[in-house]
Amino acid sequence: MTRAILLNSSDNVATLIDDGTSKDTCALQGEGSGNVELAKDIPFGHKVAVLDIEPGGEIIKYGQVIGLAVESIPKGQHAHVHNIESRRGRGDKQD
Amino acid sequence: MDFLGYERPDGQAGIRNWIGVISAMDNINPITRAICNSVEGTIPITTLFVRGQFGKDLEIAFDTLGGMGRNPNLAGALVIGLEEHSTGQIADRIANTGKPVETMVLQQTGGSIQSTALGMEKATKLVLEVSNQRRQKFPASMLTLGVECGGSDTTSGLASNPAIGRAADRLVDDGGTVIISETSEFLGAEDLFAERAVDDSVKQSFLDRVLGHEKRSMERGLDIRGANPVPDNIKGGLSTIEEKALGAMSKAGTRPLVGILDYGETPVHKGMHFMATPAPAVESMTAFASSGCQMITFSTGVGNLIGNMVSPTIKVSGNPQTVKKMDLNIDYDVCAILEEGRSITEVGDELYDYILEVGSGTRVSSEILNQRETAISRFEPSI
Repeated sequence: MTRAILLNSSDNVATLIDDGTSKDTCALQGEGSGNVELAKDIPFGHKVAVLDIEPGGEIIKYGQVIGLAVESIPKGQHAHVHNIESRRGRGDKQD
Repeated sequence: MDFLGYERPDGQAGIRNWIGVISAMDNINPITRAICNSVEGTIPITTLFVRGQFGKDLEIAFDTLGGMGRNPNLAGALVIGLEEHSTGQIADRIANTGKPVETMVLQQTGGSIQSTALGMEKATKLVLEVSNQRRQKFPASMLTLGVECGGSDTTSGLASNPAIGRAADRLVDDGGTVIISETSEFLGAEDLFAERAVDDSVKQSFLDRVLGHEKRSMERGLDIRGANPVPDNIKGGLSTIEEKALGAMSKAGTRPLVGILDYGETPVHKGMHFMATPAPAVESMTAFASSGCQMITFSTGVGNLIGNMVSPTIKVSGNPQTVKKMDLNIDYDVCAILEEGRSITEVGDELYDYILEVGSGTRVSSEILNQRETAISRFEPSI
């Protein structure tokens, strides 16, 4: 079974510690429990959303904000650079 | 806890007994390497710049080369320069440790053949002179450990960095010193880390470094993502600098932050320090070596083989694919944290024992395979 670790009970993403395949049942460990069905292939070390995240919503890992969702990220979806943006060091967003 | 080290005249303890052959300038490196290739017991300490530098950059270059010469892992040094001034600047910075320091100036000694031969003679005499030293017992409180990460992925924040953090806490509890660096890798984690400062001045100094660094980065008008996290970090699952920073910070353990250091600066207190450095590992570890770190722990996820020339660099990984693929380049495997659910405390305690063994002479892969490099950061363009 594919496994993912939730580091803090307030996190909305978990980190896979196995390579995951679409439709896999992914078992949550650490500060989470239960399962998430993967919406697509997610590689080892990448993150899966464990809750539905709204566009512009905060991405929480380690109990801290690690970025914002640029689009809706449904539960089970791969959460990474294609749908998360950083809030820091954004020289490109200055006036 | 104790380790077996070499006593130095200034009261420090080295974990190796090398003679450093130091280039006072970029144009000396071929001679430095030729001497070290021929004289066992020496290490080459090179620089890509110095000629034409001035102001702050020149001071940093001299201080860093001098600092590496002062590192207790060197029993003595041979400083080689093109001309007298830069050679003397570096030799003078080392001489007051009481260690033997020889110099050689190419404009006086002649061409590469004559200079290499003379340098070999000087280096051989130094190696002979220090080879009568023997290891003796020192308390762990005499160790300064640099904590670094490179080729990070999400396993770095879940396994290798927290295990290093536990070992760092153990060293601080034993009265030793730990330094964490890489200023940009605190973006998004700086408030949490700042809470560990012993007083408001340390806290403010730390926050000023991190926010000033972010401001200078943003002045270029670009998104830092791509430079930090770099593409291989992103491939390894790290999405933003905030995520990377929260994982990176865990290698500094949990003890109070007692001091803030400039690039390559030597701490005056024991305990946990932050040093302001650029994030690339070679530059950051060069600063550690200059500050007097006898050892570095280097956490890697997707894999980065490099170590420091002066400070033996322990490669630690918790990524099973990397440990398998890079096998002999990984000194310490912490995969059991994610694979078997072993506790970070238990694995970190074992890592601390291993760190002390390396302090007593156990060799690490970057020394044996010579995966070692030096790069002194520059903050201004050459003129």
